[in-house]
Amino acid sequence: MTDPLSALFTLLIFPGFGFLFVCALAVQWIDRRVAARLQGRIGPPWFQPLADFIKLMAKEDMLPIGAHEWACATLPLVSLAAVLTAALYIPVGGRAASAFEGDLIVVLFLLSIPALAYFLAGWLSVSVFSIIGGNRSLLQYFAYEVPFLMALSGPAILSGSWSISRIAAQQSQTAWMVLVQPLGFLLALVGLIGKLKRSPFDIPKAKSEIGAGPLTEFSGRKLALWHLTLHMQMVVGIFLLVNLFLGGCGNWPSGLAVFIFGIKALLILLILSVASVLYARLRIDQLANLGWRVLAPLALAQILVIIWIGIR
Amino acid sequence: MTNEQSIDYPTKRLTDQMTRMTIPIGPQHPALKEPISFLLTVEGERIVESVLRLGYVHRGIERICQNRNYVQNVHVVERICGICSHIHTTTYCQGIEALTGLEVPLRALYLRTLLCELERIHSHLLWLGVLAEDIGFTTIFMYAWRDREIVLDIMEELSGGRVAHAVNVIGGVRIDVDQEQVHSILARLDELERQIETLLGVIQHERTFQVRTRGVGHLSAEQVRRYCVVGPTARASGVDVDLRRDAPYAAYDRLDFQVMTADEGDVWARTLVRVQETIESLHMCRQLLTGLPQGVLTVRAPRRVPPGEVVSRGEAPRGELVYYVRSDGSDRPARVKIRTPTLTTLITLPDQLRGVHTADVPAVLAGVDLCIACADR
Repeated sequence: MTDPLSALFTLLIFPGFGFLFVCALAVQWIDRRVAARLQGRIGPPWFQPLADFIKLMAKEDMLPIGAHEWACATLPLVSLAAVLTAALYIPVGGRAASAFEGDLIVVLFLLSIPALAYFLAGWLSVSVFSIIGGNRSLLQYFAYEVPFLMALSGPAILSGSWSISRIAAQQSQTAWMVLVQPLGFLLALVGLIGKLKRSPFDIPKAKSEIGAGPLTEFSGRKLALWHLTLHMQMVVGIFLLVNLFLGGCGNWPSGLAVFIFGIKALLILLILSVASVLYARLRIDQLANLGWRVLAPLALAQILVIIWIGIR
Repeated sequence: MTNEQSIDYPTKRLTDQMTRMTIPIGPQHPALKEPISFLLTVEGERIVESVLRLGYVHRGIERICQNRNYVQNVHVVERICGICSHIHTTTYCQGIEALTGLEVPLRALYLRTLLCELERIHSHLLWLGVLAEDIGFTTIFMYAWRDREIVLDIMEELSGGRVAHAVNVIGGVRIDVDQEQVHSILARLDELERQIETLLGVIQHERTFQVRTRGVGHLSAEQVRRYCVVGPTARASGVDVDLRRDAPYAAYDRLDFQVMTADEGDVWARTLVRVQETIESLHMCRQLLTGLPQGVLTVRAPRRVPPGEVVSRGEAPRGELVYYVRSDGSDRPARVKIRTPTLTTLITLPDQLRGVHTADVPAVLAGVDLCIACADR
């Protein structure tokens, strides 16, 4: 990574911003299309996410009187930066922009920044709906984050490394983590749905209750950036699960590796899409119950079992 | 010693502000399909107080009726509601026919009833979709509204209109069906029944649907009687009232059907009652189509109505609909008073909303199936 041109390519094109941007649009389209087909609809054409993005970028950007303008302008940028930084450590097709021992923890930390920024965005944009949405998003954060972290630390403990690249590489020699820890994979998926605020955990932005939640007062460029951030977060989350549980790209030659990786990512995306049309939205207290009474104990039990196996 | 209470901590003030908020629901809100306004005072996520405001779609229909003649009024009352338009004209025409002593032909009564039941199916399916959307179950919303198209198509074929049918005239009906149409409708009703059975299965077995609707918006049978609640909302609380059986009008006394009730009194029970009622309505439509008697469609009605007053009742999709008409012998009514079923459910809402989670507000509001256009008139 000494060559500045190659570094720039990695940061901006692949697997950096450009690649993630395209993935974010693609993921959004596939998700909407699959959900639409399952609900007996047709769904949008492929360029709809791009058109939405361009349209929002061009639209007038307003905030209500009393909103914290500076913070509201910064928050989407901060979360976008956090998500992009996290993406650097996640190998795509066997190639990560950077890797070191412990990058899993850094990635998880970076991925929780958008959740906090989301809460602040609701809190600082002075609207009843956005404040309630912000409160809910914070409560939701506490409900899903702990089981999610514990579920993701399972593969790390078992493979004895906290580097995403190394965990992914190790699985091609042994077995995929999803086979060893199916429960962990399931918990990670549920946690990811909570993290992405997707149906049935779209509680902070429940549109029949509180409009668009924290983003109710956002418009124009800020809203476009928020949407981009949230969809990139989805891409990063899916890639993370592919690397940790589905063996990353495996031992395939580099061209095929990206393809295989894409197939695996698509599989997780399909699971998320199907889950989003199957259930009614839960209430925030029901989610907290689920998180702390079911998911967290299960995740804890699994970690204890892994450690016990490790000691033996 | 200082008194803890008297110190005005800035943080305490902040938490007070945080915990007690006023949320406006309406007149425009994603959970509402028609304009009505609630001011909800919440503590955290619980509602402590709710203030209701009505009248956003008041059109003065009762007064308009006094300025039009009896025939024109059929079209006026049809426009009270966009969902249950047919039951309004049916109840109105029934009243005028009773005042003038007209004997409506049996075939006309059958066709009126057929439209009433088709309208009930369409109204209940629409409602199911709205409820599902409000609790975040978009899939049921899409399915229910897709299946509702079958009924709308049938009604359009019969009358030319999807929601405003203009089927009733004083003394009979304006439309007729031939044998070919009967067969085609019967075939589509079978398809519709399969779809509704599927929806019923989902409602009965889907856990997330149940956790969002069970125990929400509870009304006891005692409350139902005190507030005079009618229709499916009353039946879901175990109060067995249905005008179609209790005071049969049109062709209902010739039909064989069951009145669906449930005991739980919550949104879940209301869902179950309505969906089962929809299936029951399908059976009634079949009976009406297969047993359709031959004969004329209308009898000639006089322009002037003899002096007198009449109360006419009909079972709308939302419950008992009451028309009071007073005639002074001219060609215009002296007074038309309409009481719609929504009015009774509206006054139960402060009770239902007290102590409810803010997330359940859309479910409570959708659960009672409000028709604001009917209530405001």
